[in-house]
Amino acid sequence: MEAPLLLFLRVQLQCKNLHEYLKELSPEILDKLYNHPATCLAVYRELPALAKNYVMRMLFLDHPLPQAALALWVKKDSQKYHDECVSVLTSLRLWHTQQLQGGLQGNILNPIFKDNLRIALLGGGKAWSDEGSSIGPDRHARDVGSLDRYAMERWEVILHFMVGSPNAAVSQDLAQLLSQAGLMRSDPGEAPCITSAGFQFLLLDTSSQLWYFTLQYLNTAQTRGMDLVEILSFLFQLSFSTLGRDYSVEGMSESLLTFLQHLREFGLVFQRKRKSRRYYPTRLAITLAAGITSKPSSSSNPMDVAPGTVDTSFIVVETNYRIYAYTSSELQIALVALFSEMLYRFPNVVVGTVTRESVQQAIANGITAQQIIHFLRTRAHPIMLKETPVVPSTITDQIRLWELERDRLQFTEGVLYNQFLSQADFEVLRDRAQGLGCLVWQNVPHRVMVVTQQGHSEVKKFWKRQKSST
Amino acid sequence: MASEDELNLLVIVMDVNPIWWGQQAQREPEFTLSKCLDAVMVMGNSHMAMTTTNRLAVISSHFQDSHFLYPCKNWTGGDGAWDGTMDEAPYCGDGKYELLSVANNVVAEEMKRVMSTTEMKGNSTDTLLAGSLAKALCYIHRMTKELEAGQEMKSRILVIKTAEDCARQYMNFMNVIFAAQKQNILIDACVLDSDSGLLQQACDITGGLYLKIPQKIALAQYLLWVFLPDLEQRPQLVLPPPVHVDYRAACFCHRNLIEIGYVCSVCLSSWGALSDPVHTGEWGGPRANLLHGLCLLTFILLMLGFLPGVQLVEGVFDVHHDGLVVILQT
Repeated sequence: MEAPLLLFLRVQLQCKNLHEYLKELSPEILDKLYNHPATCLAVYRELPALAKNYVMRMLFLDHPLPQAALALWVKKDSQKYHDECVSVLTSLRLWHTQQLQGGLQGNILNPIFKDNLRIALLGGGKAWSDEGSSIGPDRHARDVGSLDRYAMERWEVILHFMVGSPNAAVSQDLAQLLSQAGLMRSDPGEAPCITSAGFQFLLLDTSSQLWYFTLQYLNTAQTRGMDLVEILSFLFQLSFSTLGRDYSVEGMSESLLTFLQHLREFGLVFQRKRKSRRYYPTRLAITLAAGITSKPSSSSNPMDVAPGTVDTSFIVVETNYRIYAYTSSELQIALVALFSEMLYRFPNVVVGTVTRESVQQAIANGITAQQIIHFLRTRAHPIMLKETPVVPSTITDQIRLWELERDRLQFTEGVLYNQFLSQADFEVLRDRAQGLGCLVWQNVPHRVMVVTQQGHSEVKKFWKRQKSST
Repeated sequence: MASEDELNLLVIVMDVNPIWWGQQAQREPEFTLSKCLDAVMVMGNSHMAMTTTNRLAVISSHFQDSHFLYPCKNWTGGDGAWDGTMDEAPYCGDGKYELLSVANNVVAEEMKRVMSTTEMKGNSTDTLLAGSLAKALCYIHRMTKELEAGQEMKSRILVIKTAEDCARQYMNFMNVIFAAQKQNILIDACVLDSDSGLLQQACDITGGLYLKIPQKIALAQYLLWVFLPDLEQRPQLVLPPPVHVDYRAACFCHRNLIEIGYVCSVCLSSWGALSDPVHTGEWGGPRANLLHGLCLLTFILLMLGFLPGVQLVEGVFDVHHDGLVVILQT
């Protein structure tokens, strides 16, 4: 039975993680990337845990290690983890194979990566950025709370713009980026409106949203004339900075300064004025590093809860399908209303129920059940976090069942062949179609068969030849 | 892979006995306390570099007390947030990750302060290891209490031991070990000089690793290869096998390690000799209640079934706790 063509295509939001992104880059760019300690540290943190141990062990070795010796590091029943590590390390070009003196194959860490990781861990080498000691202490210093507020406010403006709130305005650049990312569709002459991929994007947690956005930005970076390596290194460096400290812009090139302005608009850094010589990374920038490991099934990331700002853990879900959202933010209420039916609204609480109609309407818009459940889980109220599982299993199971209800029918496009004059004709054509592998369905007593679109031309040619020969 | 919410706390307890280190500086000048501290900092940096959720604490173990080298009271940041309370920003000046740079500076400063200001009171020259371990356990307990909802924490303690064992600390040590076992905290031991029976028991009971290092100069390499992998990776990697453990108990009266001794049936304390009454209690003749004695005897035999490798040899009455004394052999 060959794979049917789905008539009803749903665009799924692909959230790549850092490794997949890096594997797509060319080897020269990768080697240039590894020239910065921050990148090496970020890539190191992404590795599977066993691979991290391998890298640590080989970090201080200057000679290649025979592959046989490497294989002895793991116990017999963990062989598959060993193979997984070997493949990850090779695909990221973190180690090379080298011929040893006995003719054996050996592995040695990529020397650039090794040196820079050593610098990141132990010191030496150049400072990542010029420390703020040359410009003195900031007279208008910002504390962590105000930075958090600024960051959430800027990020929410973007999300508001996507939902279509009238008072949210973003720059032309950003609107263009959103369209290119496939999150919004802008018809000429009309205001941009959100697509189904955009809906799915809205339901993700903040760190995944950030990372997806950043990836889209990086993809368009080369068309803007920016150096990809420089931008990526700066991004990683930002993600390792200390919250609440200011950093200087000394020594940053033109393209990096432009990049900094864009980051300012996203809310990842704070700069008092465009010409300011210092900037503060916000919690969102530091969350970027944590958001790189996008694990959709993990429960709420502690980085998401920014103290003293908009609370991102405010939903209580009961087993009677009621949702209580303790928020007054228009955006959050709009998000909850995407898949539930609103019942009451109070100054600080919004009450809704999850019903079959509301969930199926959300699914018709392109959102999956998994995304709804992920949304509920990542914004769960601390009281809910004490339960296991966080969201009651009745609710999660029922949402999935409602999604499956729409999948009872599968549509396949094809061409119908009927009104055969004899059984023999039917059988000959049917066997031919089966031999070509394009037969979708047949009904022998009624002499009816369905062939796929692609196979139709072949089968028609065969039938014409058949008819003319008999 | 561990989930993002699981914190991994590593507490490193360093034995900084000045007498041992002083002698060491004369025996082997190429491996001194500063080299050892460097190796420990490499280990700490590697641990913190692994994920954002890894945490570190370093305790130094001295004669009479133990000090926290990191985090310490002068520096309030625990999760990388900068409170701006320090007078001058920690200027790293090189390519090290900022968090690690700050941590290393703090550890170095505190170590200098500890070694130069601690005075010698009394005449005991043994390191207060049991006390440091107890401090580590308290710190872990406090960190567990301060977790947010939905977070979990796995902790382990790595002990770097230099000087000899102190038999006087036996009871405290055993209490600490059993408390750690109850809390599922691993105790690993890296021994530089002479084998330590107490630490072997600790590692065996809590499930940690014990290693006596043949070459002290290679300390960093041993730490990274053997002690860096955390709980999930240890079953997958090939690590040094467990050693044969000396389970002899130390007697309560003289703190000697004994193989044959006397055990009180009420409090299960082990004694080396009957002729030295420590607690109040009269030494008299056998008690009249034989049935009472038989019940106690069966109770003790049941209890002894849980102690490894111990067998009953002979039974005698005593009045230490109005109970029955039995002689054990390990």
